[in-house]
Amino acid sequence: MPHVEVLPNSASAAAPGWTYVVDTGYDPSKVAINPKDRKRAAARPGARSDNELSARQQTAIARRIAELERDNDPKQSIAIAGKHATPKTQNARRIIQYQRQIKHWLDDEEAQLQQAPAPRTAQSSRRVGTMASIPPTPSEATPGPITPRPSATQADPSTQVDPLLSIDNLMPPPLDKAELDALLAAPPLSYAASHVGPPAPGGPPQRHFCDNCGYWGKIKCLRCGARVCGLECKEAHEATRCLKWA
Amino acid sequence: MPPKGSRKLSTIAPKHTLVLDNGAYTLKAGLVPAASTDLSYDSCTVIPNCIARSTRDKCTYVASELIHCKDFGELAFRRPVEKGFIVNWEAEKAIWEHEFVESTAGEGLMCDPKETNLLLTEKPNCPKELQKNCDEIVFEQFEFAAYHRSVGATFCAYTSADGSSLSSLPQECLLIIDTSYSDATILPIYSGQLIQSAVRRLNIGGKLLTNYLKELSSLRHYNMMEETYLLNEIKEAVSFVTSSKEQFSRDLERTWKGRLGDKRDLDTSIVVDYVLPDYEGSIHGYARPHDPVKSRMRRGLQPQQGPREDLLPVGNERFAVPELLFNPSDIGIQEAGLPEAIVQALGTLPEALKLAFLSNIVVVGGNSLIPGFMERLESELRMLVPDNYLLGIARADDPIKHTWLGAARFASQPDLLKHVLVSKAEYDENGSTWLAKKFAATAGR
Ligand SMILES: [Zn+2]
Ligand SMILES: [Zn+2]
Repeated sequence: MPHVEVLPNSASAAAPGWTYVVDTGYDPSKVAINPKDRKRAAARPGARSDNELSARQQTAIARRIAELERDNDPKQSIAIAGKHATPKTQNARRIIQYQRQIKHWLDDEEAQLQQAPAPRTAQSSRRVGTMASIPPTPSEATPGPITPRPSATQADPSTQVDPLLSIDNLMPPPLDKAELDALLAAPPLSYAASHVGPPAPGGPPQRHFCDNCGYWGKIKCLRCGARVCGLECKEAHEATRCLKWA
Repeated sequence: MPPKGSRKLSTIAPKHTLVLDNGAYTLKAGLVPAASTDLSYDSCTVIPNCIARSTRDKCTYVASELIHCKDFGELAFRRPVEKGFIVNWEAEKAIWEHEFVESTAGEGLMCDPKETNLLLTEKPNCPKELQKNCDEIVFEQFEFAAYHRSVGATFCAYTSADGSSLSSLPQECLLIIDTSYSDATILPIYSGQLIQSAVRRLNIGGKLLTNYLKELSSLRHYNMMEETYLLNEIKEAVSFVTSSKEQFSRDLERTWKGRLGDKRDLDTSIVVDYVLPDYEGSIHGYARPHDPVKSRMRRGLQPQQGPREDLLPVGNERFAVPELLFNPSDIGIQEAGLPEAIVQALGTLPEALKLAFLSNIVVVGGNSLIPGFMERLESELRMLVPDNYLLGIARADDPIKHTWLGAARFASQPDLLKHVLVSKAEYDENGSTWLAKKFAATAGR
């Protein structure tokens, strides 16, 4: 048999801390922590609700994602069995003995970039437009001749195609040889800088799901900010996952 | 341009090349003789890139030995590749030795590295220190005769999407979307050369999808947190991508149980019961339409005599899990979904290149096999690009072996290969820092 345990039934008594909240994208749990924040939220009309998560909720989300992304379980150490070739050089011995995880190597890479001199060209820099919520990499943090390029999702006259004019736009300007050469010669980005940016502003709002059953999450838990679909799932949430990642 | 000090290659280069697409989940490998003309997907062997340990039979399974495992319950995995990069060389070395060097090597894979070239793929944006570790192990530990390391997708320029034709000239503009175990990467390739500054990655890979399904199933039904193998099997068996956001909403309604006092019938054309294997009579499970009566019979309620069944109902998880590829924000990952990520990557390029890349997109990687994935990707991408732009998008015939086949086709052409290989003698003379620069400079071939 696979290892399966029947989960305990959800708690019977409803705990305090719950209320029906119409989801307006405004997070009441945050108001309790920092009353000033409400003003700030109001000053940003149309701001997406995901930008308004409390620090506690953001930590919880980050922990959960880190768990979902993990490659190896540090609690499980599996020894390499059997005989195998001994290291043939000092380099090989050192490398084979490393027990570091990818996180350490990526942290090293970022630390080295912090110390490295600023890149000479804008080529290795990310354009700033799509990087709003990602911490800037050193190359981006360096003021330099970064020219943001328009992306197709932005309102730029050259990409807003009027069907009547489309024939004119069928052929974009031919490739500039020097520009192409510069593109091909540009070095790789760091791992951290290679991530895609957040969705373009003005897109559909973030969807929220019931933390228990996966249906739409219309009710918010006041203790942890998670969403549920109704009373049944609210009880199950409290019995299992409420504040699990906090 | 070759850096100063590089020498002309020895003319007696080995006759065969180990072509190795070293993925986080599986190795794709094959020995390719020079000038071979009959390469196909069938020339590629897929090997689990892991060491697995069972707490039940107390056995350790190295890579291909996993095929002998009969009980995947609570099987623990050690994977040398993390986020797509080789991190743990103790484990990767043991696996390479086991699969390519020792008598345990698979059919047609055993080689003497001293008489073999190695063509090794890597993921883009690999930290330089990890590249250096890799190069040093290849030459100093395995002592391959000659070696080249490059981003795997660049080799796809040397084969057609259906894997049928060989080409000595790379395609001019090719956009590879690699949706793999570790992540999804967008790779614009111009004449076989990666446009590094436009490469983008999305943190959603097959690993995250499996872990997500494991988390949801454990929350909703049984604690299955130690059953990674089984949940991966279930994911592969039942997941699908809805055709649109609107269809997603409809399917979510059809799989909802309703409220207290207003119960709904689950749509059994979506909700399935996965019959779990017992690892005694059965090694693998299977899905069948949901039966509310049977699924209510949990362990303990079933008759002691006769066959017992453990059922895992799978409802909205079937489509909500792969939906993360299109909406990472559903679990709070603040990254654009795959179609918008493609637009972001191409947004850094001149319009003429963007247009050319959009007309020649090839999708590789195992997640592209999820039913509905290609249709959703194409229709959402279509909405994001100007109407008058041609959109040419296809899944490689074998999206798992396609990168390997491209690399194998490259390796089978001595004229191409000799320009990029570095011999062990050159390495011994110039060292690993020189080698890293050399590979960076020859990335364009
Ligand atoms: Zn619910
Ligand atoms: Zn809660």
